[in-house]
Amino acid sequence: MTRPLDLSSETHPLLIVVGSGGVGKTTLAASMGIVSAAAGIDTLVMTFDPSLRLKDALGVGHAAEDDEIEVPLPASADGRPPGVLRASLLDAGKTFDRLVARYAPDDGSRERILSNRYYRHMAGHLGGILEYMAVERLYEVAAEGRYQRIILDTPPTSQAIDFLEAPQRIVDFLDSGALKIALRPWFDDGGGLKATSSLGFVGRGLERFLDRIVGMNLLRDMSEFFRAFEPMFGGFRQRAEKVEGLLGSPDTLFSLVTGPGESRIPDTLFFARRLAESGYRLGPILVNRVHPTFDDQGAVESAGEGQGGIDTDDGGALFRWLGESHHRGLGQLRSLMPDGQQVVDLPLEADEPTDLVALRGMGERLQRRLTERP
Amino acid sequence: MAARGTGPGEGAGLADRRLIVVTGKGGVGKSALTSVLGHSLAARGRRTLLLEVDPRENLHQLLDVPPSGGEIVPVADRLYLQNLKPQDVVDWVVRKQVKLEMLVKRVLGSPIYHRFVEGAPGLKEMAILGHALRVVRGETPKAPPVDTVILDAPATGHGVYLLTASRLFADTIGHGPFAEMAREVADFVSDPSATGIVVVTLAEEMPVQEALELRGSLEDRFGRGPSLLVANGIYPEVPSDPRGSEEMLRLWSRRRQVNASELERLFSQWAGPKVELPLLPIDRGPRLIRELQARFDAALDGLEGTSP
Repeated sequence: MTRPLDLSSETHPLLIVVGSGGVGKTTLAASMGIVSAAAGIDTLVMTFDPSLRLKDALGVGHAAEDDEIEVPLPASADGRPPGVLRASLLDAGKTFDRLVARYAPDDGSRERILSNRYYRHMAGHLGGILEYMAVERLYEVAAEGRYQRIILDTPPTSQAIDFLEAPQRIVDFLDSGALKIALRPWFDDGGGLKATSSLGFVGRGLERFLDRIVGMNLLRDMSEFFRAFEPMFGGFRQRAEKVEGLLGSPDTLFSLVTGPGESRIPDTLFFARRLAESGYRLGPILVNRVHPTFDDQGAVESAGEGQGGIDTDDGGALFRWLGESHHRGLGQLRSLMPDGQQVVDLPLEADEPTDLVALRGMGERLQRRLTERP
Repeated sequence: MAARGTGPGEGAGLADRRLIVVTGKGGVGKSALTSVLGHSLAARGRRTLLLEVDPRENLHQLLDVPPSGGEIVPVADRLYLQNLKPQDVVDWVVRKQVKLEMLVKRVLGSPIYHRFVEGAPGLKEMAILGHALRVVRGETPKAPPVDTVILDAPATGHGVYLLTASRLFADTIGHGPFAEMAREVADFVSDPSATGIVVVTLAEEMPVQEALELRGSLEDRFGRGPSLLVANGIYPEVPSDPRGSEEMLRLWSRRRQVNASELERLFSQWAGPKVELPLLPIDRGPRLIRELQARFDAALDGLEGTSP
């Protein structure tokens, strides 16, 4: 059984915040980081593309793209000395470039890779590369051991599941037969296909065929890229496996952030099941921005079929409906989750947090909900 | 600059377009708007195909039909739905080039081919738009005649890539059937009279930020912004004598205030055609689409009234 998440204790040194785009992962990750550091735990929050508001709140600008920037913590109420809080922004392209720079055997091959057309187009767009680079960075920082806790805010995928599949996709890619074939010296000095030139007339036919279908330029670029990359493959593959191992380590806890409403439930269930199947540990599911219900509303009038036109100006009816439908979705999600799965609902707040104090308030409310006895 | 077009319902010129790409940040209601726009154009006499590329189909739920399973299926008069697998289009190009069935099987079955499709930058994106182009040109044997294809595009970052990938792809590979298709697609997408872009957003900070950035990159790369901007899920204004608990009224007025200030920010930088849609107390489904469509049509007709 996975220990429940407690941001103020030193359990769970790696916390990975996942969820679909637009559910508020980044803000929650930042608020968790503050609570963690405020409890005396040295914490790094790694994040992708936070909003301007959040960047301002954390006080991190472009500098955080290359470095980890120290976030000044608001004073603690209980007088406990706070830990260090740092934030860094992740950029997939830069992380990939940095890997190439580190693992390339010499300057020549580094330059060949970085300037290769295929690499430049692929580096940002190969399926899952952004997600993979996030874990890759996590691995790098975790291995350095400078922090007691790292909170990774994952890239905004359309589905949370994309993130989990990324390392395996990279390993598959590295293992694929295509790679072995691509590593053959395909082209002779004249730029023609080696394999086909030995076939004489037939070979030239094949070359024309390939050229017609995909164009030799692309093949040449791809082949060049793979050849330049070859000396790095071994290390890269090993790393991808270690990265995968890190995701499955008992130290690593996933927290799934989702939005309220029934339409989100299938995604959430799917993700929870996939995590379990992969042997990963799912911590709390955070249902974010749940519309509160208000006591004095009286009976909820359903805006169901049969009713006449909808009065879009009737805020009261809208808020009743939102509160009711969000809580209905929440109830359904809870009933569908296995016993012992923590599902924490976080209410939609009147104001978005715009500074560290507000973020900390948000984190503390979350921490109370996480640690309260059911 | 206001709406183009002269007839009723031609607000933002959308009724003239052959391809309309609906894009925006995740979770802002792109699929709902795609459905609304589809019904709206079909009602105006355009034969319309809604194209979905997310492998996990969900548009059919909004349209009250069974999942498409890859086929073009009828939804309503003049309205169709298809869930497209980009891989199928790429396979089709290979089939057309390689006449020998035996060779086709070997090519399509080879892992190298699959890796090529995975790894070739822009190929899938080109295939999606290439398919749309073939459908509106009547070049797909099984498809019904279609005037407009509406594409429920991936979220913003990928959305821009979807639109620019074909040019990139054509430049990368130079010639051959894929390059030809890519060039045709790139020309089609760059032609403002052929392709319209609809950006959907919520009136909240991050989605508005992304919508503005998207507009910027569209202008950089195509020399034009979106044809229409849709601000979705707007909270109603708080009346002067509202009823309800203090707590509820506080939340309502704060959410409304966020909407209002974000709309102001958005529209201070966007003078083109725009539509605001309210947050409605209706579950996601066909009824929500009907209610939104009524409001969308009214707004689009209103746009017409403002044109010179």
